[in-house]
Amino acid sequence: MSRAIANETVGISGGREGFSFYRCITNTWFLYCVSLSVFFLVWDRVAAWRIFGDSLAQPLVVLDKLYELTQIRFAGTNLGGHIWASTRRVLIGFSLASAIAVPLGLCMALNRYTNAVVKPVFDLFKPMPPIAWVSISILWFGVGEFSKIFIIAIGTFVPCLLNSYNGVRLVEPELYDVIRVLGGKRKDEIIEVCFPASFPAIFAGLQISLSVAWTCLLAAELMNARDGMGFLIKRGMDTYQPALVLGGMILIALMAWLSSLAITLIERRLCPWKTGIENL
Amino acid sequence: MQAYKEVVVKTPLPLRILPYLSVAVFLLIWELAVRTGMIPSVLLAPPSQVFSLFIDKLTQPNPDGAVLAVHAWTSLQEALIGYGLSLLVGIPLGLAMGWFRVVEGLARPIFELIRPIPPIAWIPLTVFWFGIGLAGKVFIIWIAGIVPCVINSYVGVRMTQPTLIQMARTYGANDWQIFCGLCVPSALPMVFGALQIALAYCWTNLVGAELLAANTGLGYLITMGGRLARPDIVVLGMVSVGVSGAVLGFIIDCIEKRLLAGIRR
Amino acid sequence: MTPSSLLPRLKIHCEAIDKTFIQKGHVEVPVIKDINLDVAENEFLVVLGPGQCGKSTLLRIIAGLETPDAGYVLLDGQPVTGPGPDRGLVFQGYMLFAWRTVLGNVEMGLKLRNVPRRERHAVARRYIKLVGLEGFEKYYPHQLSGGMKQRTGIARAYANSPDVMLLDEPFGQLDAQTRMFMQHETIRIWEQEKRTVVFVTNNIDEALFLADRVILMEGKLPGRIKKEYVVDLPRPRDHGHPDLLRLREAISEEIALVL
Repeated sequence: MSRAIANETVGISGGREGFSFYRCITNTWFLYCVSLSVFFLVWDRVAAWRIFGDSLAQPLVVLDKLYELTQIRFAGTNLGGHIWASTRRVLIGFSLASAIAVPLGLCMALNRYTNAVVKPVFDLFKPMPPIAWVSISILWFGVGEFSKIFIIAIGTFVPCLLNSYNGVRLVEPELYDVIRVLGGKRKDEIIEVCFPASFPAIFAGLQISLSVAWTCLLAAELMNARDGMGFLIKRGMDTYQPALVLGGMILIALMAWLSSLAITLIERRLCPWKTGIENL
Repeated sequence: MQAYKEVVVKTPLPLRILPYLSVAVFLLIWELAVRTGMIPSVLLAPPSQVFSLFIDKLTQPNPDGAVLAVHAWTSLQEALIGYGLSLLVGIPLGLAMGWFRVVEGLARPIFELIRPIPPIAWIPLTVFWFGIGLAGKVFIIWIAGIVPCVINSYVGVRMTQPTLIQMARTYGANDWQIFCGLCVPSALPMVFGALQIALAYCWTNLVGAELLAANTGLGYLITMGGRLARPDIVVLGMVSVGVSGAVLGFIIDCIEKRLLAGIRR
Repeated sequence: MTPSSLLPRLKIHCEAIDKTFIQKGHVEVPVIKDINLDVAENEFLVVLGPGQCGKSTLLRIIAGLETPDAGYVLLDGQPVTGPGPDRGLVFQGYMLFAWRTVLGNVEMGLKLRNVPRRERHAVARRYIKLVGLEGFEKYYPHQLSGGMKQRTGIARAYANSPDVMLLDEPFGQLDAQTRMFMQHETIRIWEQEKRTVVFVTNNIDEALFLADRVILMEGKLPGRIKKEYVVDLPRPRDHGHPDLLRLREAISEEIALVL
C-alpha cells in the first residue's frame, strides 16, 4: 500500500511544471520573443550603422514609408490602390486557371483517353518555370493588364491540375465498391466518392497555386507595370530607396500570407471532415 | 512457394498510340499556325525555326552576346551553388528545429517571417548588396531552396515514432544520441523528398533572378529575346530552361532513389 | 404440410467457382478454386479461414464486385451479374464516407435510389437506432471509435434493406473486448431483422459464436472448401458450452492439419 502511494506521489511531482531557470529559457514563447527582438534589433542596428552602406533601411523607416504612401498619391494611386491592383490580378488569374485546371485534372484522372491526349502535352510544359513566360506574354499581350494575368494563370495552372489529378487517383478504390454495392451507377461513384474524396487534394493544389501566383505576379510587375506592389519594389530599386523596396516586400508577404489563410479558412468551412483526416 | 504462370496484360492500342499522336499533332498545329500566318510570326516562332536557331546558337554568340552553352553553364552554376548551399544550411537547420526546442524557438519566428516573401522579391536588395554578379543570384536561389529543405527535415524529425524515442530513452540514450541515431535516420526519406522540391523551386526562381539582373544565363536569353522582339529566341530560351530543368530533376530523382534504396537495405 | 415447405428455401447457390488474379501486372495467382456452396434463406453462414485463403474474394464474387473465371452464383435462382442493392456488404476497413455524417452514410443507399429526403431520413434513423448509435447522427466518421464506425457500416448495409448481408471480417480491426461486444450486437440485430448472412472471419470463436453453419477454407491458395460444421445450438451462446468446445477442438485440429 505504501508503495502505491509513493508511486503516485512521484507521478504527481513529475507532472507538475517545476519553476527553474532552465525551464524558463526553454519556454517556447519566451524564445519566440527573444528571436524576434534580436532579429529586428540586428536589422535596425545594421541599417543604422550603415554596414551595407545606404542599402538597408531601418524597420521604423520602412513602416514610416508605408504610412506615407497611404497618405499621398504615388504613381497615380495610394497604397491601397497598389495593393488592390496586384490583388485583382492574382484573383483573376488564379480563378481563371483553377476554373479550367481543376475540371481538366478531374477529367484526366477519370478518363484514360483524355489522359492519353492531354498528359503528354501537359508534360511538355510542366518543367518550364512560369516566370519563363514573362517575355512571351509581353510579346503577345503587350504591357497591359492581360499579360500579367496570363503569367499568373500559367503559373497556377500546373499545381491545380496536378493536384486534382492525383487527388482522384489516390481515392481508396474500395469506396467505389461501396457505392456499387449500394446500387449506385458510375455517375454516383463520381459524384458521391470521387469529388468529395479528392477535395482536400484540390485544396492543397489551390494553396500551392496561390503562392506560385504571388511569385508570378511579382515577376510580371517587376518586368513592367504602372501600379501594384511589384511596381513599388521596382521603383524602389530604380530610385535606390531601400525603404520602398522593403515596404513592398513586407506588403507582398503579408498579402501572400493572408490569402493562404483565407484558403485554409474556406477549406475548413467546406471540408469539416478534413481536420480529422489530418489528425489521424 | 508454387511458381505462378506469367501472363502479359496489354494496354489497348489507341491508349499506346495517343500520347505520341497528341504531341505530334500539337507540334504540327503550332508549326502550321505560324507558317500559314494564322499567328503572326512576330508573336510566335514555329518549332522548325526554333530548332534551326538552336543549331545556330551552339556556335553564334549574336544577337544576345553569348553562345547557348555559356548561357546554360552560367545558369547551371548559379542554380547548383544556390541549391547546394540551401541543402547545406536548410537540412541541418530543419533537423535541429525538429528536435531541439531552443533551436525551434529561436529559428521558427524568423523563418515564418521570411517564408511568405516570394524569393524574387529579394532581387532589388541583392542588387544593392552584391551587384548583378553571381552572388546575388545565388542568394535568391538559396532563399528559394531553403524553405522546402527546412520544412521537410523538420516534419521528418517530428514524425519519428514516439515509441521508438521512448524505447531509446529506456535504454539510457541521451538527447544527442537519440537525435543522431534515431531521429535523423528516420527523417531521411522526408529529407530526400525535399531534394526534388527544392530543385524545382531553385530552378523556377533562377529564371526570375536572371530576368532582371544578369548579362548571361538562360533567363537573360529569354529577356533579351523579348527586348529584341525575337520570339524564336524567347521560345528557345524557354525550351532550354524546361529541358535542362527536367534533366536536372531526372538526375536528382535517380540520386534520391539510390539513396533511398541505400537506407532501406 | 408438404416436405418442400419444411425445407428451408435456397437463397444463394455457388457452382464450381474459380477465380484467378493477375498480380503485379503479369503473374497469375489462382485465388479460389472449385467452390460449391449453398446458403439457405435466413441462415447465418460463417466462412472461416486464415488470412490469404480467398474467403474475401468469395464474398466479393457473391456481392458481384468480382466476376468468377468459371462457375456462377445464383441468387434466388437468378444468376448474379453485378453488384446490387439486394446484397449489403460490410467492409473490413469500414469504408465509410469521411465527408458524410453517420446519417449521411447510412442513408446513402436510399439516396442513390432517389428515395425522398424525409423518408430516407426516417429509415436511416431507424437503423441507426437498431445498431445503437442514437444521438450520433451528426458525427463524422473520424469522431467515432472503431466499433461505432463498424456499427455505422452495418446500419448502412441494413438501411438499403438487402435480402443478403455479406460481412467481410467486419471486426478484424477491433480490440478483443469490443469485438466480443459487437458479436453479441450482431446476433441481437440479426434476430430483430432476420436476413441471410454470409460472414467471413479468421477467428474460430467468433465463427462458433455466430454461425448456424461454419465453412472451413483451406489455408493456402487457391482456396477450397475444406470442411463444413453445423452448429446447432441455441442463442445467445456461451463460449464455454461443452458442445462448442468440442467443435472448437475439432476445427482447431483440422486447421493444424492444413497448416
